Amino acid sequence: MKVQVRNVDNVSVIDCSGDVDLYSSTDLRGTLLKEMRSGKPNVLVNMTGVSYIDSSGIATLVEGLQLSRETKTRFGLFGLRSNARSVLELARLHTVFAIFDNEKEALEKIATTEPFGGL
Amino acid sequence: MKLVINTDPRLLHIVRSVIRYYAQEAGFPEADVDCLAMAINEAASNVIRHAYDNRPDARFSLEVKSFPDRIEFVLEDDGRKVKPEAIRPRSLDDVRPGGLGTYFIRCFMDESSYDSTFTGGNRLRMVKYFSRRVSSSDEGSSQERG
Repeated sequence: MKVQVRNVDNVSVIDCSGDVDLYSSTDLRGTLLKEMRSGKPNVLVNMTGVSYIDSSGIATLVEGLQLSRETKTRFGLFGLRSNARSVLELARLHTVFAIFDNEKEALEKIATTEPFGGL
Repeated sequence: MKLVINTDPRLLHIVRSVIRYYAQEAGFPEADVDCLAMAINEAASNVIRHAYDNRPDARFSLEVKSFPDRIEFVLEDDGRKVKPEAIRPRSLDDVRPGGLGTYFIRCFMDESSYDSTFTGGNRLRMVKYFSRRVSSSDEGSSQERG
């Protein structure tokens, strides 16, 4: 899995690609928590390239969501493939995250999104 | 087929690939193939995390058996006995990290149970049945579905 960070205007975009599992979720976790703690007002995870995500990856996203409440960060996901969306739905987490179809929509809406997902 | 593999999380993708191959060969539809791979991935992750405390140099085995009506997976390790409460699925209303691995296993498998008589570490048996196919050969079958 690859994790890279881009800054687009006032938004930190974390580009993820490959499989997110017990091994690779540690990279995503480190990057996600670092961005949140550095005071970025908006953080998005680009999941367009994520081909697989397991419970470890989901736990990382939930941890990010929880931290976003403490750091007052607006946090969202975009570009979920059908399998990743299905896993979130199965865990009934699709309603607690701010989820956008694509980067354009995410960048347009993240600043006006209710903070901290749907919690 | 029996696969013996190190408890190194970098190797989980191999486990997923092996399961995908066997599930496809057994004739499961693609959606079930992905679910089975994820369920076994979660079970193996539990072994690494809970039986071996993320130690990467231990080993566990995964046995796959195909039957006319089902596929069975047996995961065995020599690690610490896992306490059921340590891997119990959390309530889905309780939004917090963790607690989803066993939930996914139960969602994707028709049966899953730990063998309490296993004298080693842990033995987890998981079963997935084919969707019932009604044919003349099925008549009189005494096979049960859990």
